[in-house]
Amino acid sequence: MSKKFITPVGDEGIYTLDTGSWRTFKPVMLKEKCTNCGLCMIFCPVGSITGDENKIYEIGYQYCKGCGICARECPTKAIIMVRESIE
Amino acid sequence: MNYIDLIRQSEDLVTAGMSACQGCGAELCLRRVLQVAGRNTILSIPPGCMAGAGVVGWNFDNGLKIPVHIPLLDNTASFLSGVTNMYQRKNRPDVNIIAFAGDGATADCGFQSLSGAAERGEKLLYICYDNEGYMNTGFQRSSTSSKGSRTSTTPVGKVQDGKSQNQKYMPLIMAMHNVEYVATASPSNMKDMVDKVTKGIQASKKGFAYIHIFSPCPTGWGHETDQTIEVARKAVKSNFFPLFEVEQGKWKLLDNKNPIPVSDLLNLLRKFSHLSPDDIAQIQELVDKRMDLLRKLSAA
Repeated sequence: MSKKFITPVGDEGIYTLDTGSWRTFKPVMLKEKCTNCGLCMIFCPVGSITGDENKIYEIGYQYCKGCGICARECPTKAIIMVRESIE
Repeated sequence: MNYIDLIRQSEDLVTAGMSACQGCGAELCLRRVLQVAGRNTILSIPPGCMAGAGVVGWNFDNGLKIPVHIPLLDNTASFLSGVTNMYQRKNRPDVNIIAFAGDGATADCGFQSLSGAAERGEKLLYICYDNEGYMNTGFQRSSTSSKGSRTSTTPVGKVQDGKSQNQKYMPLIMAMHNVEYVATASPSNMKDMVDKVTKGIQASKKGFAYIHIFSPCPTGWGHETDQTIEVARKAVKSNFFPLFEVEQGKWKLLDNKNPIPVSDLLNLLRKFSHLSPDDIAQIQELVDKRMDLLRKLSAA
C-alpha cells in the first residue's frame, strides 16, 4: 500500500461508484470507420476510453455513464449510441 | 510530445466512478488537469461540485490517488499558502500545489483569500472551473452567472426575467493582480488547455498562477449531456468566453476574426430560453464590448 499511494488512504482504499449502471444508451465503436485519432479519449469525462501504445482506442463499459460526448465529437462518426437492453 | 499522446500515456489519478452528472465538464477538466500535473501534486478542492461528487473522499475512502484536502469555501487560497510555504521551507519546490475550485469558491466566498494570496505571490496554481453558479446545491446564482441566466434564486416570472446583473469577469480581475500567469481555457480547445496547465504549473514555481476554465453543466444549464463540448466550442467561437493568457504581463489573445453570433450559443441552453431578441442583442453588445477591451489590452 505504501508504494501505491503517497498518503495513506482510507479503510477501503479508493471510493468508487458503480456509474456504469446509470447508462441508458451505450457507445459502440465501429472499428472499420475509426481512424484512431484519439479525440474520443480526449473528451471522455469519465476516462472510460483508453488507448494502447499502437494508438488503438477502446471503450470500457464498467464506469461509462453513457453521456454520448464521444459519439457526437467523433469526426468520422465511428461511435454510435445503442439503447441498453436487459438481457 | 503531442497532447493526445501525453493524455494517453499518463495515468488517470481520479477515482474511476464518481457521482458527477453525465457529461460533466468539471469532471473532464479535473481528469485532464491531473493527467498533466502528475503524481507529484497536492490538490485542494473546496466545497462544490467536485468535492460533492466524492473526489475528496467519502466514508474514510479517498477519491484521488494523490493527497487531497477539502478546505472551507472561503479559505482555499490561504490554506494552500500555508502548504506551499511549508514545502518551500522544506526545500521541496518540485511539488505542484494546485487548487481546483468552483466559481462560487473563487469569485464570491473565496475572493478575499484568493486576492490576498495573489498579491503576496504565493507559489501555487489556482484553477477555477466556472459553471456559472452553485451547481452542487441546485444552481443558485453566483457572481459569475451571466446576465439573463435563469437560476433557482433568479427565476423567470412576473417580477424578473433571470439574473439582471452582468457577470463579474474574474480572469481580468486576476490579470490586474500582476501575477506570474493568468489564462482562460476551454475543454473544447484541449490542446490549448493542456499547454496552459503545463505553463501554469511551471509559473507556480516562481509565483502565483491562475487559470479560469469554462465548464458547461448539462444539469443546470439545460442542454443534452452530449452537447458539453459543443457548448464550450460555441462559447469560444462567439467570444462569449474569450481565450487569452497573460504571462508576466505579456498578453496573448485568441482573436476570432469572424465570430459566430452569441445567439447560436444561447439557443442551445435552456437557462436562456426565455430571452427575447432584445435581451440577446444586449448580451451580444456586452460580449462585443468585453472583446474590444481585451483587444486593446493585448495590443498595448
